[in-house]
Amino acid sequence: MKVIICGAGQVGWQIARHLAGEKNDVTIIDLNADLVRRATDALDVQGVVGFASYPDVLERAGARDADMIIAATHSDEVNMVACHVAHSIFGITRKIARLRASSYLSAVSAELYRRDHLPIDVVISPEREVAEAALQRLAAPSTFDTESFMGGGAQLLGIALDADCPVLNTPLRQLNDLFEGLRAIVVGVRRDERLFAPHPGDQLFADDQIYVMSHSEDVARTLEIFGKRSKKQERIVIIGAGNVGLAVARALEARTDRVRAKLIERDKATAEAAADALSRTIVLNGDGMDMEILAEASIDRADAVLAVTDDDKTNLLAAVRAKQAGAAMAIALVNDPTLAPLMGPLDIDAYINPRATTVSSILRHIRHGRVRAVYSIGDNEAELIEAQVLSTSPIAGKPVREIAFPEGVLLGAVMKGTSVLKPSGDMRIDTGDVIALFTLRGDVPEVERLLQVSIDFF
Amino acid sequence: MTWLARLPVFVLLLGAVGAAMMLPAIHAAYVDDAAVARAFFYSGIVVLLAVGLIAIVTSNRPALVTQHGQLLVLVGAYAILPPVMALPVIEAAPVPFGTVWFDMVSAFTTTGAAVFDSPGALPPSVHLWRGMAGWIGGAFILVAALAVLAPMNLGGAEVLSGRAPGQGRAAGRTGADDPQTRIRRQAAAVLPAYAGLTAVLWVILMLTGDAPMPAFVHAMSTLSTSGILPAEEGFRPAGNIWGEAAILVFLCLAFSRRFLPGLPPLDRQAPIWRDSEVKLGVLLSVTVALVLFLRHWLAASETGVTEDLAQTLRALWSSLFAAVSFLSTTGFLSEGWQGAGEWSGLSTPGFFLLGLAMIGGGVATAAGGVKLLRVYALFRHAERELERTIHPSSVGGRGEGARRLRGEGARLAFMFFLIFALAIGATMALLTMGGMDFEPAMVLAIAAISSTGSLSEVGGAVPLAWADLGIWERVVTGVAMVVGRVEILAVLALTAPDGWRR
Repeated sequence: MKVIICGAGQVGWQIARHLAGEKNDVTIIDLNADLVRRATDALDVQGVVGFASYPDVLERAGARDADMIIAATHSDEVNMVACHVAHSIFGITRKIARLRASSYLSAVSAELYRRDHLPIDVVISPEREVAEAALQRLAAPSTFDTESFMGGGAQLLGIALDADCPVLNTPLRQLNDLFEGLRAIVVGVRRDERLFAPHPGDQLFADDQIYVMSHSEDVARTLEIFGKRSKKQERIVIIGAGNVGLAVARALEARTDRVRAKLIERDKATAEAAADALSRTIVLNGDGMDMEILAEASIDRADAVLAVTDDDKTNLLAAVRAKQAGAAMAIALVNDPTLAPLMGPLDIDAYINPRATTVSSILRHIRHGRVRAVYSIGDNEAELIEAQVLSTSPIAGKPVREIAFPEGVLLGAVMKGTSVLKPSGDMRIDTGDVIALFTLRGDVPEVERLLQVSIDFF
Repeated sequence: MTWLARLPVFVLLLGAVGAAMMLPAIHAAYVDDAAVARAFFYSGIVVLLAVGLIAIVTSNRPALVTQHGQLLVLVGAYAILPPVMALPVIEAAPVPFGTVWFDMVSAFTTTGAAVFDSPGALPPSVHLWRGMAGWIGGAFILVAALAVLAPMNLGGAEVLSGRAPGQGRAAGRTGADDPQTRIRRQAAAVLPAYAGLTAVLWVILMLTGDAPMPAFVHAMSTLSTSGILPAEEGFRPAGNIWGEAAILVFLCLAFSRRFLPGLPPLDRQAPIWRDSEVKLGVLLSVTVALVLFLRHWLAASETGVTEDLAQTLRALWSSLFAAVSFLSTTGFLSEGWQGAGEWSGLSTPGFFLLGLAMIGGGVATAAGGVKLLRVYALFRHAERELERTIHPSSVGGRGEGARRLRGEGARLAFMFFLIFALAIGATMALLTMGGMDFEPAMVLAIAAISSTGSLSEVGGAVPLAWADLGIWERVVTGVAMVVGRVEILAVLALTAPDGWRR
């Protein structure tokens, strides 16, 4: 498949990396020659320097025979026009645009831009997705990573195990017998910087980071079993009133349970704009690193602190500072995935990687077929793929124990009809079931073969 | 008609007054009072003749185009028009010029101070003319507020814009309409509605049983918030509650400028139930009405007369009517007001009414006082400051306009409030210099400056009569009425920029 990606920024780069890794013919367009050169050096992609919405630039990028365009530049307008040009002049069939202005987004959701009006098939909005990710983190405070699957029926929880976790040194297969009826399954373990899919005989140790696929009704019980308490959060401090911070504050205001949120923003104009957009949230104008401001936000009594400015270092330091001042929990937005290992030493409870969030939402649309969701885990070490089983698939009609999943693949949950079930060896996978697979990076092509995605892949 | 449009505003205004005199003349002729009819007709002819001469002289001369000049016309109108308006009354009735002048000042400033000893002795046409003088005064300030004061950041516009009052906004900018054009445009927008609503209220009052002439005066007094009464027996529109109810509804027009046309569209953007002035006006009237009523009710329940439901309801209604009437600086008191006092045995709570009249109606309406918008700005500012005591670095929301209103707007509103208080103090000082006691001086000063004439009767412990005032007190309160009407800031702005900058 030939794909054109407009914008070699973080999002564009990450998508290019994914798609090129899956043997697609990728061309990346950016105004910045340096970025394009770096991309063509580092990745197996073509590069074109130019303004992404100009028809001649798109033509040079091979728009005549491209199958898909992903417009992910920083400018909403450029993205929209690029899709328009791709649609009207080059007749590219699949167009994905990244839009961040909420005015455009609400217009899109109001179906003002229907397909025949504005030729964009899919709109992705990184800020909105990141805000959702942040809310999910808040909802499961004791996890370091979380994402919902199967229409909210199942939840992936990333849990860091402490020494007081009650199920340490127990083979995983015994968990079933110990906790009758628990609909949760450990799908991945990271030990000593290495991520693997556990066998039933494996044991868990302190300092392991595990990924658990749980039924959404059993989340609280699962967390308790692994030694985590879930506590209701009432006082939340958000540092940074950019698109992400504002979206989180808005979502918190929309919640029915009374959450007392405070928003700290350094830029006066941004703070005022945020105050205008919010009603109950208290907006403070000041530096999120300033102890006085943090005290004013009563950080010592905060249940959670969310550092979501656009600067990684500020987020990390603000989170550390808040934690040290007495906040119960700190979550930081981190763009650079290589900073992720710092979270432990810095005592930051969780982080949000906007790229992972955005990339997984884009991938979900790219692999449209019967793949319904893709969530990229860690620094793209593994993926959680949610897919519908087709009749052509080799796994359809087989009991789980007879399916030859590769070594790094684990079945996390099965949805039959509308009920989410925990897989067992005798369970038969039927056509139309939705399955959630934990897949190490190297095994993704094999999983796609198993799912027979390629047959109706475009 | 183009030559008419070129005439200076002041000449047109004088001409309108002259032409208006024909209406009482016709009325007097209709009721077969030839002497009064002649008085009005001849006065009108004299005024129109004079206007014609001035018009010929000035028609070829470019009109006074500066904003400062327009402000001068505005204040000058209050000096020159009342004596002109007094002309026919002196001819028609045996009253001294000083009394008639004071009456006309109070009418033209929409104050409505009852200065005649025995109003019943005056011919009805004179009462019609007094009502018309108040009505013309209301129309004058309605046009002037948006066409002259608002462009200069006066009359409440400074609270919204947050800029220094008295400084023109579009003055000298090419493309902006010159003041003369703006006044004409504003008049064309607002006057038809003003006259139409007066006519509607007139018809409604007649339908409820009021006689045509009193109904007409009541309608004009309501729309212009002058509170001038058509006869001696006090406020009695048809003697039933429906007339009062109709008047109550039309009094509410003075809560906000948005009820009359001619506004910049931006000022009308918020829906009516979120309009700050309407909200505050309704809240204040309802609260004060309830407090007044509860006060009566508690007193009455001790004596055990609360079983009388009709009497109780009448007390509630009269409280609400009084609250709205004094907040709009009109000063009508409904029929049940005295009854409520007798019912509970308590004296009239004048201080509430004084306070309401000082707050006044909406900006750029015919109402006087500090104006609801300024009070609202101060209230928002106070609320914000309270928030800031808890979170010193918090940022207030609700948009750019609200932020300016709370900040600069509230500062200017507070400045106005201080000047307003100083003006009351100065008036009181001048009145007490003439030998008046403290309390009457205070009541009369507030009545004059807030343009609520009937406060004199209910504001203090004992009713005061404007008729008892000597010439010194009349001059002082007359000037205070003008100062209160055009707002002190405008008077200051008139003298300030050129005189003080040197």
